[in-house]
Amino acid sequence: MNTEKGRWSRLRGGLLFTGPTLFCFLTVMIVPFFYGLYLTFTNWDGISTTQSLVGFDNYLGVFKDAVFWKSFGLTLKYVLFTVILVNAVAFLLAFGLTRGMKGQNIFRAGFFVPNLVGGIVLGLIWQFIFSQVLVYIGTKTGIPFLEASWLSEPGKAFWSLVLVTVWQYAGYMMVIYIAGLMSVPNDILEAASIDGANGWTKLGRITLPLMVPSFVVCIFLTLQRGFMVYDVNLSLTKGGPFKSTEMVSMHVYGKAFLSRDYGLGQAEALVLFLLVTVITLLQVYFSKKLEVEA
Amino acid sequence: MKKTRWVKGIACTAALSLVLAGCGGNANSGDSAESSAKGSAKEVKITLLNSKSEIQTQLEEAAKTFHQDHPDITLEIMAAPNGTSPFEKASTLYASGNPPTMMMLDTADVEKFKDRILDLSGEKWNADAVENATSYTTYDGKNYGFPFSIEGYGFIYNKKVLDQAVGGTFDPSTVQTTADLEKLFKQIEASGKKALIISPMDWSLGAHFLPLAYAGQSKDMAEVDKFIESLKAGSVDLAQNKVFNGLMDTFDIMMKYNIDQKSPLSGAYERGGEMLGKGEVGLWFQGNWAWPQIQSFDTTSGAYAFLPVPISNNPSDYGNQEISSAVSKRIVIDKEESTPEQQEAAKAFLNWIVYEQNGQDFLVNKASIIPAFKNITLPAADPLGKSIQDYIAKGKSEPSMSLMPADHWSVVGASMQKYLSGAGDRAALAKEIGDYWKNLK
Repeated sequence: MNTEKGRWSRLRGGLLFTGPTLFCFLTVMIVPFFYGLYLTFTNWDGISTTQSLVGFDNYLGVFKDAVFWKSFGLTLKYVLFTVILVNAVAFLLAFGLTRGMKGQNIFRAGFFVPNLVGGIVLGLIWQFIFSQVLVYIGTKTGIPFLEASWLSEPGKAFWSLVLVTVWQYAGYMMVIYIAGLMSVPNDILEAASIDGANGWTKLGRITLPLMVPSFVVCIFLTLQRGFMVYDVNLSLTKGGPFKSTEMVSMHVYGKAFLSRDYGLGQAEALVLFLLVTVITLLQVYFSKKLEVEA
Repeated sequence: MKKTRWVKGIACTAALSLVLAGCGGNANSGDSAESSAKGSAKEVKITLLNSKSEIQTQLEEAAKTFHQDHPDITLEIMAAPNGTSPFEKASTLYASGNPPTMMMLDTADVEKFKDRILDLSGEKWNADAVENATSYTTYDGKNYGFPFSIEGYGFIYNKKVLDQAVGGTFDPSTVQTTADLEKLFKQIEASGKKALIISPMDWSLGAHFLPLAYAGQSKDMAEVDKFIESLKAGSVDLAQNKVFNGLMDTFDIMMKYNIDQKSPLSGAYERGGEMLGKGEVGLWFQGNWAWPQIQSFDTTSGAYAFLPVPISNNPSDYGNQEISSAVSKRIVIDKEESTPEQQEAAKAFLNWIVYEQNGQDFLVNKASIIPAFKNITLPAADPLGKSIQDYIAKGKSEPSMSLMPADHWSVVGASMQKYLSGAGDRAALAKEIGDYWKNLK
C-alpha cells in the first residue's frame, strides 16, 4: 500500500517535470513520424479526402526514380566539399583567432554573423551578388569568368552553393573550435615546450588529438546540415539551371507538393532519413574511437 | 507537507492546461469564428486566398469597397507567397484544419479539391460566363469553380520600336509566318535595337511556350486531347512532329536574336519588362499579366500589343494567327470548415464581382483583369488586355493548355532551359519531353 502510493507520487513528480515536454515530443515528433510512415503505403495526393493502400509501391517507386538518386549523388558531392571546406576554414579561423591578436573578439563576432541571417534571405542576397554585382564588375572590367552569371551555368552554380554554405557555416563551427582550442590545458602545452616540442609538434601531437570531440560535433553538424540543405538551395539557385543543382531535399519536397504525389514523396523522405542516419551514426561511432583523454 | 502537494497539483494542472491550450488553438479557430459570427446577429467574416500576387493591393482595396457595399460581411485577403503554387498553400491550410473560405486556384487544381469545395452550379453567373469558361471545372455535371480571369500570351511588342524598324506604322498582320518574324527581327536589328528578350523562367518556357506545340496540333480540342493521350502512351515521336518542329524552328530564331544570347539563363522576369518598356528590345514572349512590369518602365505611353508565335511558313496554318488564351484563375468555396453563413457571404462576393458596378470596376479597371463574363462590357484597362480581347473578338484565339500535369512546367521547363542554354540539342529535348509524358503516373 505504502509502496504503491510512493510509486504514484513518483510518477506524478516525474510527469510534472517531463510531462509537458513528453507531450510535445509525442505530438510533434513521434505521432507525425508514424503517420508519415503510414502515408508511405498510400497513394494520397496531399489533399483528397480518400486514399487507398498501395503496399510497397511507393518504396519501389523510390528505387525507380532516377532523378531522386541523381540528386542524392549530387548532394553527396555537395556534402563532401562543404564538410571539408567548412571545417577547414572554421578551424583555421579559430586557430588564428585564439593567438591573442588585437581585436580578435570583433573578428569572431564578424565571422559568426552570417549564421544569424536566415538561409532564405542569405540566398537572395548572394543571388543578387552573383547575378548582378559580379556580372556588373565583370562586364565593366572585362574579366571573362565574371561576365555571365555564375548561377546560369551548372558547374559554377554548384560551386556558388558550396561557397555560400561555407560562408554561412564556417563562423558557427569556428565558435565550437574556439571552445575546443581554449579547453586544451595550457600546462600540457607548456610541459611540451619545455621538452623541446615546436609549434607543429604541439599542434599535431597534443592540440588536435585533444580536440577530437570538437571535430566529432562539427563534422556531425555539417554532415547533417549538408544532407538536409533546402533554404539556400531554394533561394540561391531554385535548383537551376535546368535542375542541375537540385539537392535531394528539394526533390523530395517537389515530389510531395509539386507533383502531388505525397505517398512517394514521403517514402523518399524516409529513405533519405535512413541513409542520413546511417551515415552520421557511422561517422560519430568511428570518430569517437579517436578521442583521447588529456 | 500538505502544502507542497497542493502546490504540486496546481502547478501540474497549470502546466497541462497551458500545453493543451497551445495545442488546441488552431483546431478551434473555426469554432471561434462561428461563435463570433453568431454573436452579433449577421456579422460574417470570410477570407480569400489570393494567388495572383500582382493584384494583392487591389484585392485588399476591393475588400474594403465590398465591406461598404455589404456592411455585414468582412472580407480578409490572404496572400499565397510569391513562388509557391496555390495548391501548395491551400493544401497546407487544409492540413492544419484552417482553410480560407475562398481560394483562388489554377484550373487544374480544382479537381483535386472537389471533395472539399462547394458545388456552384446553382449560381446565376454560370449563365453569363463566356463560352467554355466552366467546362474544365465541371465534374459529373456540377461546376465547382468561379472563372476569375482570362489570360493570354504571345509576343508582346513595343510599337515605337517596331514603327522605327519598319520605317512607318507597323502592321501586325504582316507577321504570319516564321520567315516574317525573322524578317522583322532583322529589321529591328538594322534599326540599332535588339530584336527580343527571352525570359528563361521554367514556368514561361514549360507552361506557356512549349504547350503551343500541343495546342497547335489541331483546332479541335478533342484532337489535342488525343495527341496528349498518344504522348502518354509513347506512340507519338515528337522529334518527327510537324508542329513541334515548327515551333522549335521559331525558337531557334528567337535564340539567335535574343538580347541575352551570351548568357541566356541569367535573365530574370523583371528584366523583360524593363527592356521592353525602355524600348531596348522590340518583343518579349510573355502574357498580359506582365503589364505592371512593363508599365513601370513605359516610354511609349502604352503602345503595346500582341503578336502570335508562328509555327510554320504557311500563313493559313492553325496557330500562326492565333493568340493563346484561356480562363486561368478559379475561385472555389470551401464547404468543410466554413459555416453556411460564410458560404453565402462568399457567394455574395462572387456575385458582387460579376453584377455590381463596384465589383466590375475593381475587376476590370483596378486589377486590369480580362473578365470571363459576357455581361461585363467594360473595355480592358490596359493595352495588353485590350489586345487579347481584340484577338478573342476576331475569333483568333487558341485555347491555352490549362489542364497540364502539376509538375509539367518544372520538369519540361528545365529541359527547355537546357535547350536554350545550348546544353542539349533538339533530339535530346524531344526525348526528354517524350520521357516525361511516358513516365507520368
